[in-house]
Amino acid sequence: MEDFKVTLKQQIIDSLNLQGMKPADIDDNAPLFGEGLGLDSIDSLELMVLLERNYGIKIEDAREGRKVLTSVQSMADYIEQHRKI
Amino acid sequence: MSKAMYIKAASCISPQHSYGEGPMLEPLMSSDTGMLHVVEQDYRKYISPVAIRRMSRLLKMSITAGMQCLADAGVQPDAIITGTGRGSVSDMEHFLSDMITLKEEALNPTYFIQSTYNSVNGWLALQTKCTKYNETFVHRGLSFELALLDAQLTLNEANDTQNILAGGFDEMTDYYHVVKGKIGYWKKEQIDSLELLQHGNTDGTIGGEGASFFVLSNDKGNARAAIAALKVLHKPGVAEMQNAINEMLEQNGLVANDIDVVLSGMNGDAKQKKLFEAGTGMFGDGATVCAYKHLCGDFDTASGFGLWLANKIVSEQNIPTVTIQSGVRSDAIDKLLMVNHTITGDASLILLNSCK
Repeated sequence: MEDFKVTLKQQIIDSLNLQGMKPADIDDNAPLFGEGLGLDSIDSLELMVLLERNYGIKIEDAREGRKVLTSVQSMADYIEQHRKI
Repeated sequence: MSKAMYIKAASCISPQHSYGEGPMLEPLMSSDTGMLHVVEQDYRKYISPVAIRRMSRLLKMSITAGMQCLADAGVQPDAIITGTGRGSVSDMEHFLSDMITLKEEALNPTYFIQSTYNSVNGWLALQTKCTKYNETFVHRGLSFELALLDAQLTLNEANDTQNILAGGFDEMTDYYHVVKGKIGYWKKEQIDSLELLQHGNTDGTIGGEGASFFVLSNDKGNARAAIAALKVLHKPGVAEMQNAINEMLEQNGLVANDIDVVLSGMNGDAKQKKLFEAGTGMFGDGATVCAYKHLCGDFDTASGFGLWLANKIVSEQNIPTVTIQSGVRSDAIDKLLMVNHTITGDASLILLNSCK
């Protein structure tokens, strides 16, 4: 799981072009939006695309999406349970 | 007759050293790849780290050139009017390529959002909090000139002092270069870009890119140059071109001998040689004939680089040696005529006056 979270963080960095950031700079439980990484609504769309492209996961329900994209930990947990790729 | 548009500030990011405080066009940049790319700048001055990570080169250079121009003029824009032939081509290429490879599913939104032609104007409006008139003209090789024309009409109608941010921008990508190469845009032989105009007997030119912005006003302020007249022509022949130049001179109370500098958009393409010679040949030895596309390459809004250079020449009363093609070097530069042809055969004339 720890190795997977590092991979996921690198995918987030690449997908959102977070220049100068390394996986170690992202706390597993820090909020992705607002105070933590400071991501915005376009980033949330990019993360949805990341989930679909890399793990075959389509989230149709916006409320569920908000829960999944809370932190790296919540994303990793959800991917582990629902991944199709 | 239209009123003069005073150039209060100009900023240009181009394949040459045209941006910032350093000496104009020094050191000279060249390429033998058939295309020129801009000298990259530190774009973080005007764009936040959160926003910059999503931006293509075109967005970064255009926003930076536009914001720098406003800072130099020290004004807030009353309108933002720009022209682009192709907009954010690299974002468009990403988006279309993803559509094909991913079978129209799971597409990145950013490339799509920012591939629209007016994304530069949108960003400039957000940065300056300008909610006034905002227009992007997309008309291939005349895009920049039509933006200037709209600025001219807007200033003519204004009853109060207006400052318009006007500009032109386009980017070159490898894919675009290949596609246009297939329809004969570019020279087949490998040449040094600075020697482009010495290869005027073969077909084709070299590609380029850049972002040029100007604060245009109906208020003279500290402006040292003004656009006195502007004309666009749809695929003119030699006679039509010469008639248009004569008409413009006459309307402004001038004769050919009054023009000190002719700044030509000659691009080294043998197919267009006659048209350019028709424009520059009317002025004999009395005027200095200069050119600029060996410095910036040819692209839809290359005349933006031309206008930036023209403004520099007139306001600093100095003609860079690398631009001079023929004629004696004028000591006092009062009238400068820009004569441009696009790759697709349209043309434009821009007359600049010095503001003494």
